[in-house]
Amino acid sequence: MTLTATRPIRPSEQESLPRPRRRQLHLQRKLTGVIVALIVIVQVYPLAWLFITSVRTEQDFAGGNPFALPTEITFDNYTRAFATGNLGLNILNSLIVTVGAIVVIVFLGMMGAYALQVLGFRFSKFVRALFLIGIIVPVQVALVPLFVDYAAVNLLDTYQSIIIPLAGFALPTSIYLFSSFYEYIPGEIYEAASLDGAGPYRIFGQITLPLSVNTMVTVAMVNSIFIWNDFIFANTFVLTDDLKTIPLGLQNYIGAMGKVDWTATFAAVCVSITPLLLVFLVLNKAMTYSLASGATKG
Amino acid sequence: MLPQRSRLSVLVFLLPPLALYGIAVLLPIFQSLFLSFFDWDGISPMLFVGFENYIRMFTGDTVFWIAFRNTLGYVVICLVLQLGGALIVASLLTLLRRGREVVKTLYILPAVISTVAIAFLFQRIYSLDPEGLINQVLEFIGLGNLQNAWLSDVGTVLAAVSVPEGWRFTGLYMLIIYAALLAVPAELEEAAKLDGASWWQTFWRIRFPYIRPVWITTTIIATTNALRGFDIPYLLTNGGPGQSSELLTTYMYKTAFTSTNYGYASTISVFVVVECLVAVGLIFLLLRRKADA
Repeated sequence: MTLTATRPIRPSEQESLPRPRRRQLHLQRKLTGVIVALIVIVQVYPLAWLFITSVRTEQDFAGGNPFALPTEITFDNYTRAFATGNLGLNILNSLIVTVGAIVVIVFLGMMGAYALQVLGFRFSKFVRALFLIGIIVPVQVALVPLFVDYAAVNLLDTYQSIIIPLAGFALPTSIYLFSSFYEYIPGEIYEAASLDGAGPYRIFGQITLPLSVNTMVTVAMVNSIFIWNDFIFANTFVLTDDLKTIPLGLQNYIGAMGKVDWTATFAAVCVSITPLLLVFLVLNKAMTYSLASGATKG
Repeated sequence: MLPQRSRLSVLVFLLPPLALYGIAVLLPIFQSLFLSFFDWDGISPMLFVGFENYIRMFTGDTVFWIAFRNTLGYVVICLVLQLGGALIVASLLTLLRRGREVVKTLYILPAVISTVAIAFLFQRIYSLDPEGLINQVLEFIGLGNLQNAWLSDVGTVLAAVSVPEGWRFTGLYMLIIYAALLAVPAELEEAAKLDGASWWQTFWRIRFPYIRPVWITTTIIATTNALRGFDIPYLLTNGGPGQSSELLTTYMYKTAFTSTNYGYASTISVFVVVECLVAVGLIFLLLRRKADA
């Protein structure tokens, strides 16, 4: 699912139609617009409902129609959400894990791609095939072995225990994305640098790395979504409350309260998804821009 | 290839990523294979049992086969929703004049939400008492007799746990397919239309063959993702009621961390790995062959 990012988007193809078809197309477009709008509403409604519920009063949610618009807006749910749960700590833990894993994925991915694509070596095809396995194989296969290994080296219940498998399984796509970008860096640049006496380390630091910034953003963004939301590794390797990330914190929410306080729980859900949602919306614009400008330049 | 690269420089760049990948991915695969020949609860000494776990899995374990069948159902529902939905929406999007960016952004939003949040959400959407969204809509359009507790009915629970997974990723696949559709040369389609081809014919004869390589990749990604599906069934129903929404992954997880039977859980893991490799191979063969014909 990371493949979109590298593919440049072409300018649309809609302008070159013969005149007689215009009117028919106009109607067709309107109809299409309506259908697409309906689909988008169905797709996005559950999310809107989340946010609406989080500002609903408890009585309104329980007594009234929970799917109608709220009669009054309240932020009490948020107060209760922060008071009962451990949201601040959970967010901090999620940040540490996400940033840690992203740094590893980006830098090791870049290094791997540089070795495979730019430096090149005799068994590079074999190593590529090896990395392909990680894309196909489901992550659950690593749970039991890593649990056993962590127990042996005292890594259970640490940030590293979550970061290692998250980064390991994301590494192949990262390497793939960087390699397909490095393919397009013209060989002449490297030859010229070599003639000037630059070795592989300087070339990496002064040519490849600065050129990779866009791909770094892409890799970081796509992975941050999956890592911020990771449930299975955290659920398996984190045993104490101190290290719980956002998804685990949310899951604990219901049990911790005995009876389910739905509106507060949904307020907590909203708190947990908002940072990522904001980052996503902001970077989404930056990405569209960089993709579009890349396409027009090329 | 760089002219001045040395063997050492290759190692310096290659070893760190390879080491991490080895520890996190490759080694566990081999360890699973190793453990699958043992009977072990993690505490008492390991007991070598040969192929006994495999024999038990294939011949003596009905839950395993139920979970296998459920996994196939789960994959089919996810693929239909994700790829079918993605293809339809992407095609519609190419016909739109304005607002494509907005639609794209809104459409992938569910992919940003964590599975735990999604599980909470759908628990409420499916519920019968209090009446959830689906049951309310049914009531509203006069189909109140179809109201159901979707997550406790053994006949609907598998579909009910598959739909959220399909819903949340369809936007990502839509983006991939949309980008591929944009790359189909407009002249090709225009020529076909001038020759009197219908929209449908243009679609199947020109557009679809043109995006086939992307379609193969997308199908592979979607299938392997569906085969590793775990979070939503685990959180919504934990495989129940009975085993009616048990997937191989949830069964493996419970075997490992609830029954602490590491050996047998590893046997199921090995099966899941093989299953994924076979699935990818099959998709490749099937879609390739069609392309040649």
